[in-house]
Amino acid sequence: MSGRRVVITGMGTINPLGHDVESTWRAMLECRDGFGPISNFAAATFPSTFAAEVKDFRLADHVPDADRHRHAGRHCRFALAAAVQAWKHSGLGDWADLDRTRAGIYLGSGEGSLDFDNFTNTIVDAWSEGRVDTVRWAELAFERMHLYREAEQESNMVVSHLAGEFGLRGPAYNVLTACAASTQAIGEATLQVRRGDADVMLTGGAHSMIHPYGVTGFNRLTALSIRNDEIHTASRPFDMTRDGFVLGEGASILVIESREHAEARGAKVLAEILGYGSSADAFRITDQDPEGEGAAISMRVALADAGVSTEEIDYVSAHGTGTKQNDQVETRAVKSVFGERAPHVPVSSVKSMVGHLIAAAGATELITCILAMRDGVVPPTTHLQHPDPECDLDYVANAPRKVPVRICMSNSFGFGGQNNTLIVTAGEDL
Amino acid sequence: MGEQPVAITGLGVVTPAGVGVEALWEALRAGRRHTRRIDAFDPARFPCPLGGQIEDFSARKFVPKSYRKAVKVMARDIEIAVGAADLAFRDADLATIGTDPDHPALPKERLGCNIGAGLICTDLDELGVALTTARGEDGRFSFAEWGAGGMTNLTPLWLLKYLPNMLSCHVTIIHGTMGPSNCITCGDASAHLAVGEAARLVARRGADAAVAGGAESKLNPMGLMRQTLLKRVAASWDGDPAEACRPFDERHCGTVVAEGGGLLILEGLPHAKARGARVYAELAGFGSAQDPAGMDIESPNAGSLHLAVRKALDDAGCEPGDVDLVVTHGTGVPGEDACEARAWGEVLGDAAADTPAAAITGSIGSLFAGAGGAELAAAAMAVHTQTIPPTVNHSAPAEDCGLRFLSEPTPADVRVAVSAAFSVGGQCGACVLKRVEP
Repeated sequence: MSGRRVVITGMGTINPLGHDVESTWRAMLECRDGFGPISNFAAATFPSTFAAEVKDFRLADHVPDADRHRHAGRHCRFALAAAVQAWKHSGLGDWADLDRTRAGIYLGSGEGSLDFDNFTNTIVDAWSEGRVDTVRWAELAFERMHLYREAEQESNMVVSHLAGEFGLRGPAYNVLTACAASTQAIGEATLQVRRGDADVMLTGGAHSMIHPYGVTGFNRLTALSIRNDEIHTASRPFDMTRDGFVLGEGASILVIESREHAEARGAKVLAEILGYGSSADAFRITDQDPEGEGAAISMRVALADAGVSTEEIDYVSAHGTGTKQNDQVETRAVKSVFGERAPHVPVSSVKSMVGHLIAAAGATELITCILAMRDGVVPPTTHLQHPDPECDLDYVANAPRKVPVRICMSNSFGFGGQNNTLIVTAGEDL
Repeated sequence: MGEQPVAITGLGVVTPAGVGVEALWEALRAGRRHTRRIDAFDPARFPCPLGGQIEDFSARKFVPKSYRKAVKVMARDIEIAVGAADLAFRDADLATIGTDPDHPALPKERLGCNIGAGLICTDLDELGVALTTARGEDGRFSFAEWGAGGMTNLTPLWLLKYLPNMLSCHVTIIHGTMGPSNCITCGDASAHLAVGEAARLVARRGADAAVAGGAESKLNPMGLMRQTLLKRVAASWDGDPAEACRPFDERHCGTVVAEGGGLLILEGLPHAKARGARVYAELAGFGSAQDPAGMDIESPNAGSLHLAVRKALDDAGCEPGDVDLVVTHGTGVPGEDACEARAWGEVLGDAAADTPAAAITGSIGSLFAGAGGAELAAAAMAVHTQTIPPTVNHSAPAEDCGLRFLSEPTPADVRVAVSAAFSVGGQCGACVLKRVEP
């Protein structure tokens, strides 16, 4: 690591377990889950009929002027609410000296939701002799489709809404490396601050794929749990009987800034980001490298970046999706990096409770790392009743564990082989 | 250890002008135009039925034999990126396991990848074949029927065709790059941001080299429909289709959608020199900024472009007066052109009227997330060949455009070139290229 030290000063989240950081954390420590029958659309006949949805959410409960964002899509609304929480938490809202040209945004946000009925029916209604008649299709599309429903699907629009809400003009990016996106965004945002390209960054991610084509896509890949009769125990990371992940939705946003910037304004520092690693499996688009070499490179790069040894890692927040392949590969990768320390480091997956928030997963999990350090409690992997012999680490099964936590590693691995790792600390030297 | 200088040593470009950077550069020099009436699908009901198509292109020619089956799960955007990556590595003479399986030039974890992408448009026919199997009793499409079985008519890997990170993923797999891998999705600014980020990666020695840029195709019904709803297309143009996209011209009336992209090989300058590589230019500066009004997508969103350009110039240690060439984004959308011209005026001041500028959109149309890849390749070629290309479809400047475009290819002492772009949504990226003295 070289450059300025980077600290976290604010956090916010909207997810299936809660609409703020503290209620989410309480739910995890009580081993609750956020799963239920899908209500976002009529999914009764789909292979998976349940998901981890955000319930009872109204943007107006979180944002002073929700009408400004009336065109924003579902995941963008989650992001706005989470960002307002994080901004308040950081105290930046009350700090008049903020240079908004040096305050940027780096998100890992997903695409917006399709205009499903119009999109689908336009194809079906323009179907002629085995293909879409594009003349008829265009006639129907221009009658039925709306500018904002279409334009808000571009994944950069969440960055644009956050910039509008807070008046930010600094460096701005969105990365969409699938399930690793928000971990990567936080890592890259850290590099922006380290180098001095920005003093403050809003970072994290937002996503909702609980819609007909999202569930279709993941069902066709056989990535989702289909335990429709055992919804509340369906997410079983590292368990022998696991059959896929539970699709979630939400947003988690953090405020990060240079340590000197935080100190100058007297901000409360929640944690420091010590290291970031990124790699590619370069293996196959459909499978992970079975030896987990790519994942291991990501962890090693992050450790080297942080100047931290595996002996110093007190907790690993796993990607832990609960798919057959991920959990085995991840276990192998952790073992190859941690060596003799591997059986002794707690490794857990909160996806067992909150579900898989896809692009927003990593940021949500990093927040749990910070809370684990604050409270000296590691969150559990729930529904782990039948250990898989191939998965033989300490997964903190079924109950949270009180243990001092000073340094955490958080891993995210994306479909297609993009791996990202963050290392954070809340040690006394902050 | 401080940052190392970063060289551009390879260019891989696939545009309507053809396959390879030579095709683009030759078209630009000769003032050839490649927008025309779309024939990839029947565009009769679109107010602007024009586009820039890449003729006779398939990724099959650019992947190892063992990978040809995978081309089936590549959306057009991915195919373009895969083609551009192969061209770029070969152009750099930097062997990978994709171009020379037995003799890759670098350890795999020392190669990075950052490819900008857009919202990949669904192939309507592919989805339609499956959707039309799922009808209820009333003959209408039914999500219940779809869930109960209709969806099984969709290939299992369907989703993977449309994830924007798949441009990067296929390239990392084909070329065996295991270093940091990213995918920026910021509309038209994507490629500049991806190249800037990759340059930072190489500068801080997180990788020895990286492939970076962007690719996209909106040359399909969904893409063209969305740009039409945004009022970005040249709907009122009724002249020669080749003259429809008119950057900063008094008759500009919108852009022309096209497909394509460009990838650059970025490499530590010492490494490039040590292996005797051809260096097109140094990627000497980069800046990013956000227009806080960017969520208002019905107005042009280039309101922070000047900030990005200033940061890039500072980063390169250049003054506005040092700039020898401006490669504009120049979409040809009147409001966007005006907003962009203001930004350049704000940065360059009085020098704006004397600094040569170029826009490549008149020749090839808008490539969206791929645009910056082609624009940066053109800037690199200008620096490398010491030639400023002419700008076609710019016969008389729009009232509020204070930039100086040339009508003939012009030899010039191009030491510093700046290229920038902005997205619908307000993300802005700028890169500064410097000539490297031998």
